Formats: sequence, structure tokens, C-alpha cells
Amino acid sequence: MRHTAHALLVAASALSSTLPSAERGAPVSFDRDVRPILKANCVHCHGESEKPRGQLDLRLGRAILAGGKSGPSVHPGDVKKSLLIARVRSGEMPPGDERRKLTPGEISTLELWISGGALIPASEPSVTRAGMLITREDRTFWSFRPVRRPATPEVSNTVRVRTPIDAFVLARLEKNGRSFAPDADRRTLLRRAFLDLVGLPPAPEDVDAFLDDGSDDAYERLVDRLLASAEYGERWGRHWLDVGGYADSEGHTDDDVVRMHAFKYRDYVLTSLAHDKPLDEFIREQLAGDEMLTWPLENLGPDAVEKLTATGFLRMSPDGTASDRSVEARERVVNETIEIVTSCLVGLTVSCARCHHHRYDPIPQQDYYRIRAIFEPALDPSSWRVPSQRSVSLYTDADRRAAALVEAKAKAIEAERLQKQTDLINRTVKKQLQMVPAQIRDTLREARFTPADKRTPAQEKLLREHPSVNVSAGSLYLYDSTAAKTLETMAAEATAVRARKPREEFVRALTEPSGKPPNTHLFHRGDPGQPRAEIRPGGLTILSRGTRQKIEDDPSLPTTGRRLSYASRLTDGSHPLTARVLANRAWLHHFGRGIVATPDDFGTLGEPPTHPLLLDWLASELVESGWSLKRLHRLIVTSTIYRQAAWSAASVAASAADPDNRLYGGMPLRRLEAEIVRDSVLAVSGVLNRKRLGKPVPVMADRVGQFVVGIENLNAGRPGAVIPMRGEEHRRSVYLQARRSRPLTVLDTFDAPRMEPNCAKRSRSTVAPQALFLLNSPLILHHSRLFAARVKKEAGDDMNGQIARAWLLAYARKPTDVELADAVALLEEQERHFTSDGSKTAENGKSDPRSFALASLCQVLLISNEFLYTD
Amino acid sequence: MNRLQPQDRPRSHHRPAPHQGSPRSADTTLEGFDASRRRLLAHGAIGVPAIALAWMLAREDARAETSRPELVPRVHDLLPKKPHHEPRATAMISLWMQGGPSQVDLLDPKPQMARFDGKTFPGKIKYDNAAQASSRVLASPWSFRRYGESGTDVSELLPNLAGIVDEISVVRSMHTGVNNHGQSIRALNSGATIGGRPALGSWLNYGLGAECDNLPAFVALIDPGQLPVQGVENWSNGWLPSIYQGTVVRPREPRILNLTPAAHLAGAPQRRSLTLLRRLNRRHADRRPGNDDLEARIASFDLAARMQLAASDALDISRESDATRKLYGLDHDETREYGSRCLIARRLIERGVRFVQIYTQNQYWDHHGRIIEALPRSCRKTDRPAAALVRDLKDRGLLDSTVVHWGGEMGRLPVVQNDSGRKNFGRDHNTYGFSMWLAGGGFRKGHVHGSTDDFGHHAVEGPVTHHDYHATLLHLFGLDHEKVTYERGGRSRSLVDEKPARIVEELLES
Repeated sequence: MRHTAHALLVAASALSSTLPSAERGAPVSFDRDVRPILKANCVHCHGESEKPRGQLDLRLGRAILAGGKSGPSVHPGDVKKSLLIARVRSGEMPPGDERRKLTPGEISTLELWISGGALIPASEPSVTRAGMLITREDRTFWSFRPVRRPATPEVSNTVRVRTPIDAFVLARLEKNGRSFAPDADRRTLLRRAFLDLVGLPPAPEDVDAFLDDGSDDAYERLVDRLLASAEYGERWGRHWLDVGGYADSEGHTDDDVVRMHAFKYRDYVLTSLAHDKPLDEFIREQLAGDEMLTWPLENLGPDAVEKLTATGFLRMSPDGTASDRSVEARERVVNETIEIVTSCLVGLTVSCARCHHHRYDPIPQQDYYRIRAIFEPALDPSSWRVPSQRSVSLYTDADRRAAALVEAKAKAIEAERLQKQTDLINRTVKKQLQMVPAQIRDTLREARFTPADKRTPAQEKLLREHPSVNVSAGSLYLYDSTAAKTLETMAAEATAVRARKPREEFVRALTEPSGKPPNTHLFHRGDPGQPRAEIRPGGLTILSRGTRQKIEDDPSLPTTGRRLSYASRLTDGSHPLTARVLANRAWLHHFGRGIVATPDDFGTLGEPPTHPLLLDWLASELVESGWSLKRLHRLIVTSTIYRQAAWSAASVAASAADPDNRLYGGMPLRRLEAEIVRDSVLAVSGVLNRKRLGKPVPVMADRVGQFVVGIENLNAGRPGAVIPMRGEEHRRSVYLQARRSRPLTVLDTFDAPRMEPNCAKRSRSTVAPQALFLLNSPLILHHSRLFAARVKKEAGDDMNGQIARAWLLAYARKPTDVELADAVALLEEQERHFTSDGSKTAENGKSDPRSFALASLCQVLLISNEFLYTD
Repeated sequence: MNRLQPQDRPRSHHRPAPHQGSPRSADTTLEGFDASRRRLLAHGAIGVPAIALAWMLAREDARAETSRPELVPRVHDLLPKKPHHEPRATAMISLWMQGGPSQVDLLDPKPQMARFDGKTFPGKIKYDNAAQASSRVLASPWSFRRYGESGTDVSELLPNLAGIVDEISVVRSMHTGVNNHGQSIRALNSGATIGGRPALGSWLNYGLGAECDNLPAFVALIDPGQLPVQGVENWSNGWLPSIYQGTVVRPREPRILNLTPAAHLAGAPQRRSLTLLRRLNRRHADRRPGNDDLEARIASFDLAARMQLAASDALDISRESDATRKLYGLDHDETREYGSRCLIARRLIERGVRFVQIYTQNQYWDHHGRIIEALPRSCRKTDRPAAALVRDLKDRGLLDSTVVHWGGEMGRLPVVQNDSGRKNFGRDHNTYGFSMWLAGGGFRKGHVHGSTDDFGHHAVEGPVTHHDYHATLLHLFGLDHEKVTYERGGRSRSLVDEKPARIVEELLES
């Protein structure tokens, strides 16, 4: 959006609202307007490099005025004489292709500054060293300042204030002469809370129960019930899986190898959120679960397994290192893991500082490598663990002992069987000997029972002449089928006993090898082939108030302890970004837009918060409540802000003043996310399989190349027989295999993210392929028929009753009279059509026009805006 | 439109905030535009349907795009892109002869082989199936003649092709060097022998965008029989964004999954459903004024309905004249099905579809045995429709801008396979020297390129690898094969798999 906004700024400069303040008549400020332009485009060579080009340093106002080798770069008040303008106007600077040149808008800002006298700040820091300059101005940027809990503002309409957060939002509305919209009606509220908190529409029983509940706190209790459900974990766990970049395959290479045990991390996330694990603990476990355990990693209890599983977070990046043994492939995994961590938890574009100082935010290149040094001991390209080496066995000594006992039992059965086999063979041999002439019987017996390698040629000859006494384990069944059966049963018994051994489970984890950690170096231009100065681990300089946030190794741990130390810092409650970022993300998912609209960029290029005080209040509340996400949910969901009726531009005045509802004068309308579209369709059609957790449901290509749920069964690349899924195909979307190369068509169509490497904010498109999918896809048609069958089963044959039931299931409300009439008309017309043209709706030779007509109505409901949006 | 090409703009590592996820827009999206501007345009364009407005916005955005450092990942779309140089071709129909037609019996006559017929092959043979191999030469049982002004040799099995030889270039020196169907299919269709890569049609649309907004830009016309080897991988977008995936036209309704209605809903029933949907959505939106997305979605169903109409129209060959239907062989049982698909291909190309591939069924040309009976049958099905397609495109003035390709993933060996009586004779795989033909879109007319040895086993003169073939095709489409790249796994990936590739100038019309 920034990119677009910038482009539009150039193209549509007639729009005063998008112009920089300079062009609106406000005086140009060096810090606000000029410095960012120079920082983004010029100071890389003129100031930050070791020897400024042309001895020109453009980092500070006074250095700019002083100029370089060619003289002063700027003549205050005289644009024409200013070398700086001449160079950028001619296109000589910045050097390079078109992409590097300043825009006309930027040049005009510089000119306005010069013509206005080229004013510079009265006090500027003294800088002598080359490198990135972090100014006082930088430090006062809103997101770098510590979180302080603001006092709740005064409002006039106190009746509408249910929670402290209402006051923050209402105060802004009142300042603009507005107020909250009225509360939404109860059905709307019910459906909103269900889709938001558990990602499923309310069932008819839920609707009845809620509407029948006349108590004052009916809504609050509903919220508590939803927050306590397992489905809550499935819904909100999915949000975390987005930022964590969860996938069931490695990606990167063309064969996109499946990650067998990745789902345990998914289950960890879903379970942790369902249990309201405090977010600080949740983060510490994911960043450093292995460093919280006692080494060696043996005999792991449930708690230890959980912590180890949590480190799967650091194993989510696309990873081609199984087949690609190059350093580049490994470096890529390290870089993308850092990108996931920082975008997810720090909310800054730290990765931009990998090759050079950050062009817009005060993040020097050194900072990137400080962060890298935290992770490098565990993600060390020079001593790399390929994917197959990352599985940690969960077998305990107790398991091993249990397994040994089982094995002993199985062995005993086998020994017994062997004895039995020998006995049975001997008995059979004896029977056979009875059938040979008596005169050779003894000789033959002796030959038979002489060990094979000790037999004389005569004995061997004799045996060849009488093959019937050569009874063996393999041929016993030919003589005595009952005996053979007995032995078979005993063998099966041994196998069955062995199957009772404790199963060996694995988790896909990140563990840090003990021993000397690798040295981390700054890579010149991000190139691992050009290591420069050694860098010690630490946090971002901008957050450290003068002293560098050094991280020392912890000698009491077998590992360096760097990640644990970093995780503790992020979650110690004083870090200015962590709690803000987390609180903002909760807001984003409740309202469809964050207080900061760029949830992974709280830097200068990100959007500033619409309600900065509210954000800080929420962040401090999150910390003070012991990092309980559910308490934050409860606060938000029971607020008046959340309980308002849907926003609409009901009055022209309101829409002109706040066309995007940034002030929350109503509940924003949101389209259901991809998974919720599918899950809701399944729930309404009545087949949703609520089985929880476990192995992902496989995804395959169908006959035309769309990706659908199914077990792949290929023959030379072509699909073979369809393997029945036994209800697994109806599980919630979060349990479907997230294979990077096989984005499920239904989810992909509705903007489910591609994890490259993660997704901080989903896009929401409205495109014709979605409409076509809803109209014609086999999936929607199939579930429309199931929906119709369910309606018929629950409502009987009465048409009005069927329509009312369908409305209740899809919309949680009754149809209006007009809707009822419309629906009746459709049912009758469709039935007439299908009756006269029965051939196409015939199934098993029987035509059922009524059920097809009902399915057609049900489809309309499933694909309507009221179903696909929530407000 | 001064628009940068995808390959000029490497995906920046600058981590973007606002548009994470996988932005896609087969037509376009209303998300992501500056809200106030959107509103301004909306006010200034009263009466323009929302979706048309969205189109305008998207195109405007494309124009206004500057070349500053990229802060947001590229939003991939199907909007037309400017090629690198003036293109000769804008569309392509590939007649994919899966299994490997026998070049020595169809397009590459080897009269010298007659002397050796039934005798031992005087050299080394690269077999695929050594168990059934023999070294006895099988001279072609069919005769060749020269046709047209160009005097191009064609087998008696392809009488209709003989009539259009002055329009085509025959390449006799194709080479992939991997003797398996799957791998050689991948080489010719996606540029490398390994799987998971984007198909040729996906690359073309990635590089050039689509020319129409109401039909899929890459269409796969599959046979009513079994899918060809490699199944759906043949039209896969691989790791390119999924908007570049090929769309299958099925041999029965719904002809295009998700694009055309199920049989029982086609026509009036779906129209009635859409009417009710529109009424419900209208009332819903009227209660929530100012929510543009609701209007956009209402409009998206209208656009979808128009796309359905366009698709139904494109697939409706009943509108063709009797003369045309006859030309494609729709009046004969043997050619009707294949002829219909060739005719549909022409109708699609006419309507702006970029790339159509027509597949024969599984191993249709894989004549390991009974070739004397089976090869003529394969030819009877495809010869007339294929030639008709070239003629028809020419008559309509479309051939100059449309490449027609005829060929499979391999040719066949000069020796007998299955040496158990002449009736059972077959020929084994040969990917070292085989033939295909190309017409239109800037390919030379009445030309034969390259040659194989005296037995048609190895390409000896002017060998054309799959990389050369792809570079030449992209060149005709105005694209530089080294510049059409996609950033993946830290490197730029291309159709030619970043391998050396030669534009085969000798094949180009001057």
C-alpha cells in the first residue's frame, strides 16, 4: 500500500490530502521532510560509507551547508545556485538507473526547504565517525518510546462506556462531534462473536439459547463459553500460524518435501492458545524452549516435550538444505528465520538492514548481525543440521523398558512357537516313517535326524528317494494344515504383542549444540563471502538508550543461553515493541484493521497508530494482566466499540469525515477468511468433522489440476482410483495439509496466504474467480446438496418451514416476508424446471426435482454476502 | 504504457508490511488502493460499474507505477505487459502428440534404410527397453513424396499435412536426450527434466499477461480418454503464482470447472439463482451503505456471469459453418472429437486466449508394438484436423500471429522392437533425434530444418534442444528468454532453466 500510495502521490498530485505537508503550505521541516529523503537516497554514499563520496556528508544539516569537495551543496534561499538541486535535477544524482532517481515531489520538497532559507535544527549531534546516525529525533519516534499506561480520557456520553477502552475511542469520536453507533441487535452480536472467536457460525441451538437467555450478563457468559472452547484455539491459533509461517512442507525445492512432524508445532500453538498460556511464556518457549530444558534431552516429560515442540517456530522457514548443500541455501534459512522472528515479534523491518543500514528506520547494519548472533549458535551454516537431523525422539527410558518387556514377551511366544514347530515336524516325520517299509524305517529315521551337514552320501541318497520324510517348517502345511494354523496363530500373537510397544514419536525442533559457538561477522553487502567485523549478540541499538543491549552467554547453561536471554528481554514488560505488536495484532483480528495498519512495520514507513493512547493502554494491560490473551479478548469483545451495529455511511456527513471508519463509529464489515468460508460451509451443510489435532489431512491434485483434499494415488503422474477419506475431508481447514506447492484451491481462491516465509497481514481480494468458484465449483455444489438434505431432515416437507430453517442455519435469523416470498418463488420455479428437464437431475435413475430446487436455494444462501461477511 | 517487466524488478528483500500473503487478481481487486483516491474516482465515474472501475484503477496503478525501490512484493496479475521487443506471435496452439510419433515414418524419410531392412543395424543403438530390443532395422513400411513449392517430404500417412507444407517449418533435429516419457515431456513443456516447474503456457502469460479478461489465458484441452503421462503437471504453474495455471476444458459438462455451470444448472436455473442472489445482496448492501467491498462483490458476480457467457460462446462450435466443420473433419467419426478440439482452440485464440495445448490421450503415439496397424490410426485421427487448423487460421488472418506446434516428447528408433512377427513390430523410444513441425507466428514457411543420421537415430545437423526451442518461441513472442525470470529460492529461475539456449534463427521468417 505504501508503494501504491507513493505512486499515486506522483500521479495524482491534485489530491491535496495526499500531498506532503510542504506542498500544503506548512513550512518544510528538515527533520520531518528533508532528512528522510536524503537518508533514503543519498547518505549511503554521502555520510554512512567509510569515506564520504566527494567529502560530502548529508547526514546533518550543518554538514550539508558546509558541503564537500565541490563547495557548499546548498545556498540558503537560492535554489538555482544550490549544487544539490542541480545534481538531482540533472539526474546525475543519485547515480544508477531510473529507479534510483528522486521523484518530482521529493525534489520540490528540497527546493521549498532551500527557498525557505534551508533551516536546520538548532542543535544537532556531533558526529565524526562514518556510519549510521541515530538522532534524538529518531529516539522520540512513537514506537521506540517506552509504553506508558495513559489515563483514560474524559468523555461526555459516559453511558456508552462499558470498558476503559471505550473511553479512548469515544473521546476521539466526540472530538469529531460524533458518537458510537447504537448496539447491534443480539443476533448480529451472536454471529459476530461466533465467527470472530471460534470461526464458525452459531448453530440453531446456540441461537435459541442466547435469545432465550434474558439475564444481564448473557453476552458476557457467551463470550466466556466461546473463549473456553477448543474451537477458539483452532481459530486464533491460525492467526499465530500465519505470522509464524507454518507449513507442512519444506518448500524451496521443486519436490517440496513433506515435513512429517511439523503438525506437532501446529498442535502446540492451538493447544497453548486454547489454554490461554501467557503470551510471554508462549514466546519464550518458541524462541528458546530447548534452553529451558535440562540436558541431555532424554526422558522428556510432557512439559519438556511441549517446550521442545515450541521451538518448531524457528524451523518454519522454507528450507532447501536437504538437497541443496550450498552455503547460500543455509544462509537463506537463517535470514528468513530472522525475518519471521522480527516481523512477528519486533514489528520492524529489521531484515532491511542485512545488506546496508536501514534506509528509513534507525537500524544500523550492525544491529542485524547482533540479532543474527543470537540465533547463529543454533542456526550455524558451518555446522548445519539438515531437515532429517532435526527430529528429536521422544522415547524415554520408561518407554524403552516397556518396549523391552514387550519384546521379551514376544520372544517368549516365538521360542514357544519354535519348540512347538519342532515337535509338530517330528510328529509328522514319525507319522511319515510309519508309511515306509519297515525294513528301511530305522535307517531312514537315522538319516532324517542326522544334522544335514553330517549325513553320509548314502543317507542323502536315501532321503532323496523318500522325500516325504523331508518335512520342514515351510512344507509342514502340506501334511498337517491344523498344525500349520496353530503355528501361524502363535506368530500372529507375537506380532500383536510387539505392536503394543510404546510408539516412537518425534518432534521437529531446534536445539543448540553445546560447545564453542560460532563467531558472527557482519557481511559486507549481506554477502557471506565478505565477512567483516565480528559482532556480539544484542538487541536493537535504538531501543537501548545509549548503552548497547548486549547479551552475554550464560555459563550455567550447556548452550549459550542467548535466545533465552533475548526472549526474556522481549517479554520483560519494558520492551517498547513486543506488547504493542501483540496487542495490535489482537485488535487487527477483531476489527479487520490494526490500530497500526501495518502490523509488522511499526517503523517510519509503517502507518502511524490511529489511536496511539489506546494502543499503549492495551499493551500495558496485556502485560499487567499477566500476558493473558483471553483477558484481552474479553476486554475487547465486551466493549461498546465491539458491540456497535455495523458501520455504514448512514449519513453523508459521517462518511465524508471518516470514510474508512478509522474512528470506529460502527463495527467494521469483514469478509470471512478463507478457512472460515470453508469451515462455515461445512458447518452449515452439517458434515463438519470436529476431530481435533493430529496429522494433517492430505491434499492432492484432482483430474484437472485443482488442489483438493484427498490421498494422492498416481500412476505415471495420472490420478488413479479415488481413496475414501472417511470423514477426514470434512475436518476444519487448520488441519488440512499446508503443502507449499499445493495451495488448496478453495483456500487459495479466498486469499489464504503463501508462506514465503510468513504472513503478517492477509490480503482480501474481491475477484471474479471467487464468484465463479461459489457458483460452479463441485465443492460448493456438493455442500449445497448436503445443506438441502439437512434442511429437509430437520424441517420436514413444508416449504415455509424449510426456508425458515435454511435462513436460521445460514444467517442465524428468520427470513423477512419479502425474502420468504422470493425463496418460495425460486423453489417453485426451479422445481418446475427440474421436473420438465429431469434427465440432468436424475440420480440412480430417479429424479428428485424438489431436493435439487432446495439445493439451489441453499447455494444462494451459502454464496450470499450476508453469509460471506460478518458485521 | 511505460510499465516495467517482472524481470526488471527483482523481488526486494525489503520487507513489506501491508500486502503480505498472496495477493492475486485474475481480474483485479479493490483492496490496496488509496481510499480517498478510490472514492474520488468513484465520484468522478458515476454510472461505471464497480468492477469496471476496479479495472480502471488497476490499469491506472500500473501506469503510475514508479521505479523506486520496491517496498511491497509484486502483485502478480494478468494485465498486459510490454514485451522486450516487437513480437511476431501473440498466441500459440500446441498440438501435443504424447507418446512420441515415429519420425522415420512421418516426417524424416530415410531411403537408405531400405537396403538394411531386416538386417542388423550397423551401429550402436540407445535402447529404452533392452529386454524387447532387437538390432534388426525396420525400414519405413510407408512411402514418402515431396509436396508443395517447397518440396517438403511427407509420408503417405499424413495426406492433409501434405497440403499445407508450404506454411510450415519441419524440424528434423529435435533433441532432449532423456529417453523417458515423463522426463522428456517435462523438458519440452517446462524446460527441465525435473518436476514442479511451470509449464510453457504459464511462462508466456507470466511474461506477457493476458489479452482477454473473460477467458482463462492458458487453456488445456484434454482428450476424453486417459490423461497424458504426467497428468495435471502438463498445465501446472509450478512455483509461479497460481493465476498462471492452465485451465482444463473437459470433454463433458461442466466443460470448464468453476467457469461453466453444472449440467443441471446451466441456463435458466442458474439465472434464477443469480437473480435471487442479487436481490439478497442488494438489500444487504443497502442496509450498509458505504461499504465498497459489498458493491464490488455484487459486481464480481455480474462479471462472472459474463465470463461464463464468453466461455460458453467460445466452446459452442455449433455456430460454425458447415464448410468449417467439414474442414476440421467433424463429419467423420474418426476425426470428429479431435477436430472439435482443434476448432475450439481456434475459437479461443480468436477471443484472445494466449496459449492452448491440445493433448492426445495417454501414450497415444507410443508405438512399441503393432505400429503397422496403430500408427496409421493415430494419423487418421489427427492429420486432417491439424492441417485444417493451419488453413483456417490462415484464412482468418490469424496465422501470422499464432504459432501452431505439432509434436511429441520423442521420436522412435530405426530398429524393430517386439521382433515376434511383422504384425507385432514396434519401435522403441528415441529422444536423440526426432521431428516436429511449427507454423505461423513468424516461423519460416515451407522450410525443413536440421537432419538426423542415415537411420534417423541422432540429430546431426542443426540440433535443436528443448532450451533452443523455448528460446526461439519466447523470441517470437517478443521476449528475451534470459530476462523472463522469477525470483525463487534466492535465484532467478527461467523457462530455459538458466541453461545455454540458442534462438534458432534459421527457423525464423525473414
